[in-house]
Amino acid sequence: MKVKYFTVLAIAAAMFLAACGKSDADLQKAVQDKLTADGVSGVTVAVNGGVATLTGEVADITVKNKAQASAGAVGGIKSVTNNLTTKPLPVATPAAPDPALTGKITENLKKAGCTGASVSVVNGKVTVTGEVPNAKYAECVQVIMQSGITGIDNQLKKGS
Amino acid sequence: MSLQEKYQTLLELANQNGTTYELSEGEGGTLIVTGTAPSAEAKQQLWDEYERLDPEFNDGDFILNIQTAEAAAGGGMHTYTVESGDNLSKIAKGYGIQWKAIWDHNRDILKHPDKIYPGQELKIPM
Repeated sequence: MKVKYFTVLAIAAAMFLAACGKSDADLQKAVQDKLTADGVSGVTVAVNGGVATLTGEVADITVKNKAQASAGAVGGIKSVTNNLTTKPLPVATPAAPDPALTGKITENLKKAGCTGASVSVVNGKVTVTGEVPNAKYAECVQVIMQSGITGIDNQLKKGS
Repeated sequence: MSLQEKYQTLLELANQNGTTYELSEGEGGTLIVTGTAPSAEAKQQLWDEYERLDPEFNDGDFILNIQTAEAAAGGGMHTYTVESGDNLSKIAKGYGIQWKAIWDHNRDILKHPDKIYPGQELKIPM
């Protein structure tokens, strides 16, 4: 008997909500809750006529995209205006002084069989010249990019 | 289009495959991704996506510096393999450091700073 009573009540409540639609205030809370549930923080939500506007600063573009998707997934939200900005990035510092980086890259290139490539490093920015076999190209670029440099001018050519 | 937008699919992929990363800005606004991938396979996925976005890796606006978790556990030392004709001073010069720094880090495998042999792997402090 009790079960039946609740079922009726639930159906009535659902019909009531569907008929009225959710208010902007309800939607605002729903979006905010959804963002929190999805692990997105630092976002301010405003809802006007079912349109959600997101403002604030987030870590990077992936968080910005995620916030957009989360907000859009909330029932009753018609569209999302994404005004989120991404945090300014810290300036990178080279992992080591230029001669040390040059030595490290040169040795690692040699180990990887990229003997045709040569590098010069100025203030952490590396200029790569020479030619390596086509099959080795990606690996040689990897070696250079994993050395702690802060800039790259890649003039390396693919040989046969 | 910002660089983060240009490389967003790569960053999304990193989030999906368990790669932890940090972004920084290098020379001339270069976007630098420094991180650790859970496996060699995950790292390769990122490089494949990078190649799709910049087939020759020569746009000069992006640096992908991902190591595998395994390599990261190895510490910040660089390894140099001794070749015939090498001595500590010569090796140190190539890295712009003092020979004594190499000696200090390799006392466990070297008996005397003048006695190094081809094939030995020396730890180079970076």
